[in-house]
Amino acid sequence: MTESRNWPEKLDPIVEEFSACFDSMERYELLFQYAKRNSSPLLPEEWTEQNQVHGCQSRAHVSCSLDVEGNFILRGGADAQIVQGLMAITSIAVNGMAPSYVSEMSPDFAEEMGIRSSLTPSRANGFLNMFKRVREEAAILSGGD
Amino acid sequence: MSLDVESIRADFPILRRKLPNGKQLVYFDNAATSQKPQCVIDSMSEYYSVYNSNAHRANHTLADEATTALEGARKSISTYFGTSPDQMVYTSGATEAINLVSYAWARENLSTDDVIVLTEMEHHADIVPWQQLSKEKGVEVRYVPIDTDSFTLDMDAFEVAVEGASLVCVVHTSNVLGIRNPIERIVELAHSQGARVLLDCAQSAPHEMIRFDDSGVDFVAISAHKMGGPTGIGCLLIKKEVMGQMGPFMTGGSMIKTVSTDGSTFQEGHALFETGTPRIAEAIGWGAAVEWLEQFDMKDVHSHINRIASWTAEKISEIEGITVYGDSSRNDSSGAVSFLHNSIQSQDLALLLDEGGFAVRTGHHCAQPLMNALGVPSTNRASFWLYNTMEEAEAFVSHLSYVVDRFSDK
Repeated sequence: MTESRNWPEKLDPIVEEFSACFDSMERYELLFQYAKRNSSPLLPEEWTEQNQVHGCQSRAHVSCSLDVEGNFILRGGADAQIVQGLMAITSIAVNGMAPSYVSEMSPDFAEEMGIRSSLTPSRANGFLNMFKRVREEAAILSGGD
Repeated sequence: MSLDVESIRADFPILRRKLPNGKQLVYFDNAATSQKPQCVIDSMSEYYSVYNSNAHRANHTLADEATTALEGARKSISTYFGTSPDQMVYTSGATEAINLVSYAWARENLSTDDVIVLTEMEHHADIVPWQQLSKEKGVEVRYVPIDTDSFTLDMDAFEVAVEGASLVCVVHTSNVLGIRNPIERIVELAHSQGARVLLDCAQSAPHEMIRFDDSGVDFVAISAHKMGGPTGIGCLLIKKEVMGQMGPFMTGGSMIKTVSTDGSTFQEGHALFETGTPRIAEAIGWGAAVEWLEQFDMKDVHSHINRIASWTAEKISEIEGITVYGDSSRNDSSGAVSFLHNSIQSQDLALLLDEGGFAVRTGHHCAQPLMNALGVPSTNRASFWLYNTMEEAEAFVSHLSYVVDRFSDK
């Protein structure tokens, strides 16, 4: 993480891809594509009350764990494609990182992508609630509180 | 006579606004709340700037002016609904009005052997109070199903359910389907069993003339904010003979005659149910709204809305993947058109419509039993009022087609 960037370098191409979009409809279209190719999904049969993210208008669930090397793994699922797309991008950002890094990460990348500003306040809050939940679980997995 | 919609729109400053993305607002969320004409905004502003004071209980000029305006509004509103001021209780809205019936009438008059009839079409506001009462008093609650082909109440089932009932609570017009229930028949059947009838008119009051005294209905619940008035106010209309069967609801100031350390005595009539400082500005605003509405023939208003809703429902049902819930081709339907796309989730669709400037509602619309009956978790809902235009509806259908074409699974 550099001074000017609060997200992992691997997210840079995605941020550029979104910020190059012509308008918000094109950004949403791209988000739908990320939702469809979510490489770290949490399937509906795994959705439980415990892994539900509250504060989202749609149903959203996240599961956080560590791989054998102790790196963070986020899996997410949502019934809305826009939320699912945001989860897919977040999982690209955090997966494979140290949980201590994830627990300190900022959601600024969504702003830079032009996504957060085009979300309705309640949906933006849903994204932030999801991100907060991921950071909290990362803090626990890193041995913090 | 057709409405002069251009002139009507000029009374609503909000309809001229543009959204942050530069798109012109097209407001199709009227079943959730309507916009307010300038005269309503001005009346409330004038109250606060010129004669703000607590109503009743004072002899100074401002208190007298506030009281006169508050009671003047009650006169205007009750007259508009075809009844007298002493049969109208100000509430915070239809929800509080229904709770008022539940607490002040049902808890006084119903017990274990009694039956309350509800329908699957009810808003949660007309379900939860009765479920709570059932838990508390052991009252039986029966639900009348809907016919999911015609989206109408199953009246054969109603005739069975109403046998031995003490209270029938029914929505006049469904907030999801836009279907108007056959109230005249429902009242006839309910009264033949000796049951009281509570009618939820939150959706119908903006669309048709409610004539309470002529309706035979025992209670009517109404919200101001869906008919041009402000939020936070509504009323319960109560048949004269029923008011005497009711006990206090909320207790405290205003609803008492005397208070001593030995106990209290209570006011009678609507004053018994209006505790604490009234919603003075809101009542004045609602009074201004009904006075504004009086310039129109509600049959013209209904025809205008019904024409837009029917056309919209027909056109969007032709879009691939869209299912419309309800039957807007019925002449008595209100302006709500609920729909769902088979691959674009409703929350996503609402956001994509918002990008085009179109405000529609999404979710279960506080009608989960109806959603269960329809077999869907939620719907999108476009709802119209007298200031909406066919041009707006055409633009909406066009944008929806574009969204579906661009975002649906093909």
